[in-house]
Amino acid sequence: MAEPHEPVAAHSADGVQASTAAEHDSGGGVPQFEFQHWGGQIAYLLVLFAILYVLVSRVFAPRMRKVIDERAGAINGALAAAKQVQAEAQDQARVAQAEVADARAQSQRVAAEARAKAIAEAAERSAIAETEVSGKIAEAEVRIAAMRDRAMAEVGTIVTETTRAIVEKLTGQAATAAEVKAAGGAA
Amino acid sequence: MAGPLEQFEIHKLVDFPDMTLPFVGTVDLAFTNSHLAMTIVFVVIVGFLSLVTARPEVVPGRLQTVGEGVFGLIDNMTESMIGHEGRKYFPFVFTLFLLILGMNLLGLMLTFTATSQLAITVTFAILTFGLVMVIGVVKNGFGFLKLFWPMGAPLVMRPFVGLIELISFFLRPLTLSLRLFGNMMGGHVALKVFAGFVAAAAAGSLGIWLSAPVGLVSMSMVVALTALEFLVAFLQAFVFAILACIYLNDVVNLDHAH
Repeated sequence: MAEPHEPVAAHSADGVQASTAAEHDSGGGVPQFEFQHWGGQIAYLLVLFAILYVLVSRVFAPRMRKVIDERAGAINGALAAAKQVQAEAQDQARVAQAEVADARAQSQRVAAEARAKAIAEAAERSAIAETEVSGKIAEAEVRIAAMRDRAMAEVGTIVTETTRAIVEKLTGQAATAAEVKAAGGAA
Repeated sequence: MAGPLEQFEIHKLVDFPDMTLPFVGTVDLAFTNSHLAMTIVFVVIVGFLSLVTARPEVVPGRLQTVGEGVFGLIDNMTESMIGHEGRKYFPFVFTLFLLILGMNLLGLMLTFTATSQLAITVTFAILTFGLVMVIGVVKNGFGFLKLFWPMGAPLVMRPFVGLIELISFFLRPLTLSLRLFGNMMGGHVALKVFAGFVAAAAAGSLGIWLSAPVGLVSMSMVVALTALEFLVAFLQAFVFAILACIYLNDVVNLDHAH
């Protein structure tokens, strides 16, 4: 900071003489139009520009691009890896879900089978019981029918005997069973 | 006390014998304060870029982040404005931007601003304009003239619009150099004027009653202007780089654009 100050300070210390000299050189008083200083500045700037251009294009820009490309590669790699892991996890989740669904379906099927079996057994058992019961009912009906027939037959005999007794009493003659029957049948 | 224009004067720090060149005339060879400023800027830029790229890491440190920010700024600019061929012109635009930005910023810290020298801004402008001309002619040959033949305009208007285009094209080095030169010189003159008021007030040459208010107002103006000048320093370098990109795009993509 101090060094570039010095020429200015030294110059202003010179006082009026130096500034009038500068005005004589430029004519208009603006120091930028002192053309005797242009050549050296332009040449020096062109040299510096050329050196910096070569340095940037040969050294600095390739180095920068390398790092930036490396970073982009690292980020893309990490992203790809993360995506792959995520896909794997999703696959596993899907497999697990399918397994759960399978197990549920299987258990439902087993339950349904068991229920069907129980129902079938119950139906079978009730069918057997029914046939047994209906057999007994039929048997009983047969027996009842036989008893009724026997009773009716006995009623017939009683009627015939009663009729013969009545006829004997009334007529004093014994009637044969056939006659009574005939009469009964006619009556 | 120094006048506001004194900061732009060139002083010889080391004098060399004058040289007489053909066509150019006598050249005053010397290492001046302008050369010193340019040298400091050059050394700082090369040092900065070397530090940034010396041990580059995938996860950047602070300095590397700043360096890559500047690099990315210009890289994106050339890429988005010139297209896929932009990378070829990146070193030129980057060099241009860094040198102008460095000189602008250094001018706010030293007493001398290289970019407030018309010789310097004219050199930058001619360099850019010359590159545009050379690329235009090498890439397109006589097709270069299509740049001045506006296909979008009605046929009757084309010669007039073309003439205007031609004039504005050849005014480019002038506008480029004067924009940077004017901005830097104006800013520093304004700074110096207000700083002169502060110095006068401090010396008590304004009288008892005026010294304090004038000094305070001028001092706050100097502070505000300095902040503004930092913005201008960056903005003018950025504008110069953008315009260089636009002009390069004109001739690089002449077939696509027109």
